[in-house]
Amino acid sequence: MRPLTEEETRVMFEKIAKYIGENLQLLVDRPDGTYCFRLHNDRVYYVSEKIMKLAANISGDKLVSLGTCFGKFTKTHKFRLHITALDYLAPYAKYKVWIKPGAEQSFLYGNHVLKSGLGRITENTSQYQGVVVYSMADIPLGFGVAAKSTQDCRKVDPMAIVVFHQADVGEYVRHEETLT
Amino acid sequence: MKVNREMKRLYVGGLSQNISEADLQNQFSRFGEVLDVEIITRKDDQGNPQKVFAYINISVAEADLKKCMSVLNKTKWKGGTLQIQLAKENFLHRLAQERKEAKAKKEKSTTGNTNLLEKIGGVDFHMKAVPGTEVPGHKNWVVSKFGRVLPILHLKNQHKRKVIKYDPSKYCHNLKKIGEDFTNTIPISSLTWELEGGNDPMSKKRRGEFSDFHGPPKKVIKVQKDESSIGSLAMSTRPRRVIERPPLTQQQAAEKRTCDSITPSKSSPVPVSDTQKLKNLPFKTSSLETAKKRNSISDDDIDSEDELRMMIAKEENLQRTTQPSINESENDPFEVVRDDFKSGIHKLHSLIGLGIKNNVSCHDSDDDIMRNDTEYDSGDTDEIIAMKKNVAKVKNSTEFSQMEKSTKKISLKNRENCELSDHCIKLQRKSNVESALGHGLKSLNCKSPSNSSSSEDADSASELADSEGDEEYNAMMKNCLRVNLTLADLEQLAGSDLKVPNGDTESDGPETTTQCKFDRGSKSPKAPTCLHRGRQCIHPEEIVASLLEGEENTCGKQKPKENNLKPKFQAFKGVGCLYEKESMKKSLKDSVASSNINKDQNSMKHEDLSIIPMEDGSPYVNGSSGELTPCQHAKKANGPNYIQPQKRQITFESQDRKAVSPSSSENRSTIPISRPLEGKKSLGLSAKTHNIGFDKDSCHSTTKTEASREERSDSSSLTSLKKSPKVSSKDTWEIKTDFSLSVSNSSDLSAKGKHAEDNEKRLAALEARQKAKEAQKKLVHNALAKLDGHPEDKPTHIIFGSDSECETEETSTQEQSHPGEERVKESVGKTSGKLFDSSDDEESDSEDDSNRFKIKPQFEGRAGQKLMDLQSHFGTDDRFRMDSRFLESDSEEEQEEVNEKKTAEEEELAEEKKKALNVVQSVLQINLSNSTNKGSAAAKKFKDIIHYDPTKQDHATYERKRDDKPKESKAKRKKKREEAEKLPEVSKEMYYNIAMDLKEIFQTTKYTSEKEEDTPWNEDCGQENPEEIQDPAALSSGAEQPSGFTFSFFDSDSKDIKEETYRVETVKPGKIVWQEDPRFQDSSSEEEDVTEETDHRKSSPGEAPLLEKETTRFFFFSKNDERLQGSDLFWRGVGSNISRNSWEARTTNLRMDCRKKHKDAKRKMKPK
Repeated sequence: MRPLTEEETRVMFEKIAKYIGENLQLLVDRPDGTYCFRLHNDRVYYVSEKIMKLAANISGDKLVSLGTCFGKFTKTHKFRLHITALDYLAPYAKYKVWIKPGAEQSFLYGNHVLKSGLGRITENTSQYQGVVVYSMADIPLGFGVAAKSTQDCRKVDPMAIVVFHQADVGEYVRHEETLT
Repeated sequence: MKVNREMKRLYVGGLSQNISEADLQNQFSRFGEVLDVEIITRKDDQGNPQKVFAYINISVAEADLKKCMSVLNKTKWKGGTLQIQLAKENFLHRLAQERKEAKAKKEKSTTGNTNLLEKIGGVDFHMKAVPGTEVPGHKNWVVSKFGRVLPILHLKNQHKRKVIKYDPSKYCHNLKKIGEDFTNTIPISSLTWELEGGNDPMSKKRRGEFSDFHGPPKKVIKVQKDESSIGSLAMSTRPRRVIERPPLTQQQAAEKRTCDSITPSKSSPVPVSDTQKLKNLPFKTSSLETAKKRNSISDDDIDSEDELRMMIAKEENLQRTTQPSINESENDPFEVVRDDFKSGIHKLHSLIGLGIKNNVSCHDSDDDIMRNDTEYDSGDTDEIIAMKKNVAKVKNSTEFSQMEKSTKKISLKNRENCELSDHCIKLQRKSNVESALGHGLKSLNCKSPSNSSSSEDADSASELADSEGDEEYNAMMKNCLRVNLTLADLEQLAGSDLKVPNGDTESDGPETTTQCKFDRGSKSPKAPTCLHRGRQCIHPEEIVASLLEGEENTCGKQKPKENNLKPKFQAFKGVGCLYEKESMKKSLKDSVASSNINKDQNSMKHEDLSIIPMEDGSPYVNGSSGELTPCQHAKKANGPNYIQPQKRQITFESQDRKAVSPSSSENRSTIPISRPLEGKKSLGLSAKTHNIGFDKDSCHSTTKTEASREERSDSSSLTSLKKSPKVSSKDTWEIKTDFSLSVSNSSDLSAKGKHAEDNEKRLAALEARQKAKEAQKKLVHNALAKLDGHPEDKPTHIIFGSDSECETEETSTQEQSHPGEERVKESVGKTSGKLFDSSDDEESDSEDDSNRFKIKPQFEGRAGQKLMDLQSHFGTDDRFRMDSRFLESDSEEEQEEVNEKKTAEEEELAEEKKKALNVVQSVLQINLSNSTNKGSAAAKKFKDIIHYDPTKQDHATYERKRDDKPKESKAKRKKKREEAEKLPEVSKEMYYNIAMDLKEIFQTTKYTSEKEEDTPWNEDCGQENPEEIQDPAALSSGAEQPSGFTFSFFDSDSKDIKEETYRVETVKPGKIVWQEDPRFQDSSSEEEDVTEETDHRKSSPGEAPLLEKETTRFFFFSKNDERLQGSDLFWRGVGSNISRNSWEARTTNLRMDCRKKHKDAKRKMKPK
């Protein structure tokens, strides 16, 4: 468990900023306490100061996780968001996509969102913008990347992919072992 | 040749690229008029033309088009093969056309719709057309005769394969053509009023013949039969009975509502029942059934509350009836029936009396409850609710019973009341228990005959004897079984009711009634009233159970003792104990079916001491078990009877004291709890009497051995009623004991044949019991004296006591020893409260608990917290107790360290955060200058923001005062609007002006035309000009004035009129002009005369209208309108006449000349 290096921080923040934009600073500078990012086993954990102190008592090899896992660094030092970060990203999400009830299951099984399943989308979403996917009942289901801009979404045929799947809450079931 | 020329659009394909529109036009103009040519070239990606084709709009005849196609199609022309086809119309054309069509359609449809409406609408349905004319636009609709629009029908004949065309316009009677059958109508006069049919009931009914109405009586009988059958069933199955109840209660309710009609209703069912009984007599179960019928009757008479008692009574009756039936009465159905009937009445009375008493007790208990409501435990709420329900019922029942009494027999009431008084008297006598016993027995015995003699019902002496025998028998049975005894007691009560009046003067009755009422009304815990009640209660007990007196006395003794004890119990334990005991006792009571009596007693005692009934029950239990275990009786009998009242008084006093003393809040709480419990139980008994009664009914009816069953069932029901988990285990216990008892009872039952012996034995046992009880009571007394001080310790003892009691029931010897032990234990408990320590510990814990959560002084503050933490590590072991010394030395260092650590960590984190924020900045490319300080800055900003408080006067400055502008603006707006409205008026006036101008113009034109001198008129009127100018000025002023008026508003109309009048005056300019004319005349030439004449004419019509016009003036022209005058002048001027005359004259002249010339010419020709 160690603090992130600047490079890592940058990479991670760039990734997160795709979803929540300038709201990122609200994650870093929280009024309700000190929260920080910690790297452990290539995973980045968003953890409060208190828990961090508690976790300091546990040896690194025994520590499984602490706080909330935001994602992990790949071998190529790219950052990959985990679904566990959804709880922190969803409230701050700038660009959202709502999918129809019929397409929810498909998305929760790890599939991309087709235009036919697209119920609503934030306007002026640009292409490859990180979006948080909601159900029509405003329940965050996961996040992805907009495959088409909002304008393009209107034109494309219904079977075209609108949002690339990145993570969904179905992973809690499907990837239970890797989500820490 | 322009025949059928149509606009066609041709597609011409296969053109070469360099073809121009002109070429095409030339090419095709041979065949028709080329209107438009459109060349289209398709190009590929590089822009090379691939395909060239053209659309040509050409107006061409059909033949020419064919020709064109045949000539030019597939011909080579300028480097391309032509390909000509008809094309679709240009979409623009089509669009235009479609729109046109749509428009046309719309118009059509609207017109069509109106037509349709006219056709379809009810009023317009009659077309005013000759019949047979088809409705335009609707196929097969024709105006029929009478002008109605009807469809032409094509009907297929069923038999022939012919389609009949039915034209409504050709037939007056439209149905005739369709079906002949319709026409074959029978005249109304020949219609039949009879229906054919046989003698079967349906046909009869159809004919309206109904047999005599026998329904209701049959029904009644059936119902009763049903009841009887159900009753018989009920013997076997309780639930059935339960199901039956509601209707019964309903009946009762109905009857009760009609209080006046109660007596007849009662009278009516009775004979029915008798008849029923008669019918049932052939069946062997007659007695039981009759009993049940009686019950049903009584149910009718008595309220739901009473019903419960009635059920109990039923049990008794059943028992009685069964017993007599065995002995006597199967052979003599009549007697049995009547006996039952009578007994039923007796029971009713007794029941009523009981009901009253019960009601009183209930009221008392209710009051107690009300008093104690606040103090109730949550666990008791259910029971309380039940209580309340019961109370409501009770009130009803009391009312009902009273009503019934009043309606039925007031004398009976008096007798009952007298009974009470007698009881009081007996109480006084009671000083000697034995004597009282003997007296009671004797009195009962004596009274039974007296009852028979005095019985209102004119029952035969034999019947009475039978009933007496039954009673005696029952009395004997009582000895054997408590249940029987109680039943007998009830009967005796009824009997005694009858007897009392005989023996006592009726003057006592009212007094007693008043007393009773007073008791009812007064539920104050005052000792005297309590005593009164207690005595009264005791009296009925003794009177009824004169045989049981000893037991009762013992009970009474026990009651006070327990009363003393119980108030001191802790709430829950006491409750538990009470539950146990009560359940035990009450189960027994229930089984005994003395529940009514017990209830009375209990309820009465409830008033005095709620706890007493419990113990009353217990003695009964003991009594019941006393037969089995005489030892118990002996114990209970130990207490001298005369001690009872004293003790009661003492207990009352003590209770009062406790109730008064606020210090003994616990006692209070316990008391109320116990009271409600008892009340509940008493009420519960009443309420459960349904069940119990059912149980008893069934049990009794089946066999006597079922007494045990009853006990079991009762106990089970009671146990079920108990809701304290603690009690449950004990309840099972009790049940077991009950079983044992039941077994013993069954054994006793076998001995029923030897009732007399049993009686004797019982008496002896009673004496023994009394003695034992005396001893017990002494012990208890002593114990109580000590106990009074320590209320808290008792519950545990009582628990033990209850257990021991259970045990004692099992084994008499144990029982004997146990009560003694109990007392001892109690005393021990008082002296050394730590033996049974669960409760004591709890109490001490509870005491500690209050202190436990207070922060001890040494643990206050931060250091204290640390110390506490330290201490917590070592537990509570004194050896490792951490003093403040430990704290002082370490804590400061720790604190420092911690602080250092904290600061270090915080710094680290802050740094990290800074870094992170920097990264965020770079990532987001935003300037987060003082993100960390943002919060504070925001806070500062927020502080700067003044929180507006409307209540503060200073803040009034922040209020933005409302301006009145909006109102003004409104007014303005109104004005503006009005102006806008007025403006059109102004324009109107302008119109008038124009009209005037026109007039003037016309006039002037006339002048000019007549004078033929414009210039001189214009030039010469140097003086005239100003006037002329005046006119426009006047006009303008007129125009302005109205406008000014419009601005001022509000009187527009009147002013309009004025203006109009003013306008009218503007006509005068004409006059003025005319007046000026004379000046003209100077310059003007000869035609003056004519002009003058015309002017005169003008003036005369002009002025007259002026006067007229002042009154009315309209926009539209009317006849004789002044405005038309000018025009009259215009087109019917004098000049025209003159010219015509001159013209005619000339024409004549010309004609003459012409003829002359003609003649001259002829003359000239002739000579030639």
